[in-house]
Amino acid sequence: MLRDLWVRAVRITSFVGKELREVIRRPGVLASLVLGPFLIMLLFGIGYTGSRTPFRTEIVVPRDSPLPRDEAFYAELAPGRLEVVQISEERADTERRLRGRGIDLMVVAPTDAVAQLRAGEQTEILVAWNEIDPVYDGLAHLAVATMVAELNAEIIRQAAAEGIDLVEGELGPRVRDISPEVIAEPTAAVVENVAPSEPTVLNFFAPAVLALVLQHLAVTLTALSMVRERLSGQMDLFRVAPVNSMEVLVGKYVAYAVLTLIVGGVVGALMVFGLGVPVLGGYVAAIGIVLLLAFASLGVGLLISLVADSERQAVQLSMLVLLASVFFSGFVLPVQDFIGAVQYFAYALPVTHGIATLQETMLRGEVTTTWMIAALAGIGVALYLLSLLRLRAILRAAN
Amino acid sequence: MTTSPAAPDPVIAMSGVTRRFDGLTAVHDMSLQVMPGTILGLIGPSGSGKTTTIRMLTGTLRPTEGEIRVGGEDPQRFSRSLRERIAYMPQLFSLYADLTAEENVGFVAALYGISWFGRGRRIRRALEIVDLWDVRGRRAGQLSGGMQRRLDLACAIVHEPDILFIDEPTAGIDPMLRQQIWDELRTMRDEKRTLLVTTQYVGEAEYCDSVALLAEGELVAVDTPEALRRRVFGGELIQIEAATPITPELVSNVAEVQSARQTSPRSLMAVVADAGTATPRLMETLAGAGIDVVSLEEYQPTFDEVFAELVRARRAQRAANEEAADAA
Repeated sequence: MLRDLWVRAVRITSFVGKELREVIRRPGVLASLVLGPFLIMLLFGIGYTGSRTPFRTEIVVPRDSPLPRDEAFYAELAPGRLEVVQISEERADTERRLRGRGIDLMVVAPTDAVAQLRAGEQTEILVAWNEIDPVYDGLAHLAVATMVAELNAEIIRQAAAEGIDLVEGELGPRVRDISPEVIAEPTAAVVENVAPSEPTVLNFFAPAVLALVLQHLAVTLTALSMVRERLSGQMDLFRVAPVNSMEVLVGKYVAYAVLTLIVGGVVGALMVFGLGVPVLGGYVAAIGIVLLLAFASLGVGLLISLVADSERQAVQLSMLVLLASVFFSGFVLPVQDFIGAVQYFAYALPVTHGIATLQETMLRGEVTTTWMIAALAGIGVALYLLSLLRLRAILRAAN
Repeated sequence: MTTSPAAPDPVIAMSGVTRRFDGLTAVHDMSLQVMPGTILGLIGPSGSGKTTTIRMLTGTLRPTEGEIRVGGEDPQRFSRSLRERIAYMPQLFSLYADLTAEENVGFVAALYGISWFGRGRRIRRALEIVDLWDVRGRRAGQLSGGMQRRLDLACAIVHEPDILFIDEPTAGIDPMLRQQIWDELRTMRDEKRTLLVTTQYVGEAEYCDSVALLAEGELVAVDTPEALRRRVFGGELIQIEAATPITPELVSNVAEVQSARQTSPRSLMAVVADAGTATPRLMETLAGAGIDVVSLEEYQPTFDEVFAELVRARRAQRAANEEAADAA
């Protein structure tokens, strides 16, 4: 019994040693594995401002409109979102510039908003933009909503200043004791972010990049490893030797887990000590998540290597996993923004859970979505079992 | 009552084994046995079914029909203990190019459960046998083709197996090295190991204890090299060269001569039951006929000739059978 366990351990370590040596013998690959992720994060952290360049906006204020013609006034309606490049009186000229992409936004102010308000009619403000990017389209909506709210308040302020008995029904004669500013903006928000860490772009994306890099590393290395052995006849040696599929698989898992953790450790250390990203939940929790992520990601890679027909196909499948991970994992767009069925697909990717739980443990100090930890472990176990079944079938004699 | 010692069981036995791939028959109705401590050479041209046979024997390919036993077990259900005693050297270089020669052998040793403590000695011995100890630190991918084949062989023998299946160990290797590899294989045979070796070099049959000749997926003949020669030519051969023209009729009356044929105007090839007894009788007869004999000696036909003759006879037999079947 003990001898059997010992011999199994020897067989498993044969794969561990072999895999590690093969990777170490390619120093270029190793260097890019360690330095590459860190440089990507550094470039991203330094280069990304986290805010969109303000929309170049032209305001059309009709000749008879009492609204101000001061650019600063309109820029303050949506601070940081609008860059008022010009105030004009001719809508046709402004529209031409919008179509020619000379400006991003055109705002046409109402001719006589106060008169319309007095008549009990809602005033319409025409805002137009010329954007094909859905993200910027959404941002334009947001900027316009902010601006219109501010503009409405300004119109009410003007009306109140002129003594219009707008709210007399509610407040009675006391309305005259209230300033037009308070009538226009009866509430004002006092904001506070209660998150335990500062929401900077670098802090937020660093755990996500780490998770994505670890998954990609694990998937790519393992996907190629087994394909080579299947295509070069080494599987025949394994078929004849007294080694079983479990020993082969565990050997591969351990080797690449060691490698992934070493790379993860180096990248993580550079991230924490070099870039100052916090680890509020402690190192043990973060390492635990990285371990689970590595386990599940290795399963993805091994499964690819066991179904791919060639090294080329293995690389293509690895790149597809990376592409899917970038789009659906929450790295770029929140998972909640996708429709239900696509969300299931997103949650089938280990990195989706890796990003969310690493961000939580590092930036919030605790993982509130504990089901994601369980999901990560579940994906890992399921992929291990699938890989084991597939390898067992491969190691069986060809029919 | 006395009992004669029982004959040993064959280590490898095939009975009526056929393997088809999508309707194409790669191996047809093959039966053979390999006795312990011997080398069986599976010899035939490329595409004759050698690798398919060796893969079925090692359990990496399932036969379509027939029965196979290796060490008394079905290759599809080899026990772990039997696997530990078997070695398989595939036809193609199947080691890891980025690992050194020593690391490759070490990997295979560990695959067979040999721990770190006993591994070093075995690795050294295996590499010394194939004369690669001096280049043990060189990566396998940087070794020459011949060295890679020898490294494959070192990997196959590092766990000191009892039964070795070696597929084309000498393919693409220069004659000197081929001789060296066969010397190593015969040394292993002398250590009571059983070897099944495939080769496309018919001449290498000389190095084997028994030979199975394959052609087009069929077993043409199985026997010892000497017996095969005798079978093909009906006996031993004596080559006669004279200073003057001679004809087969001159020797046909000698009792030991079974047949004779002209090979040139001044030479004959005689088939005899035993060259030792026939030689003096032939000398005497030719001298009596006034023939000046330049040389008269036993002729060892090459295995290329033996193989060609066997294949020719087999094709003739098959054509005759088909003709008979058509007539019926």
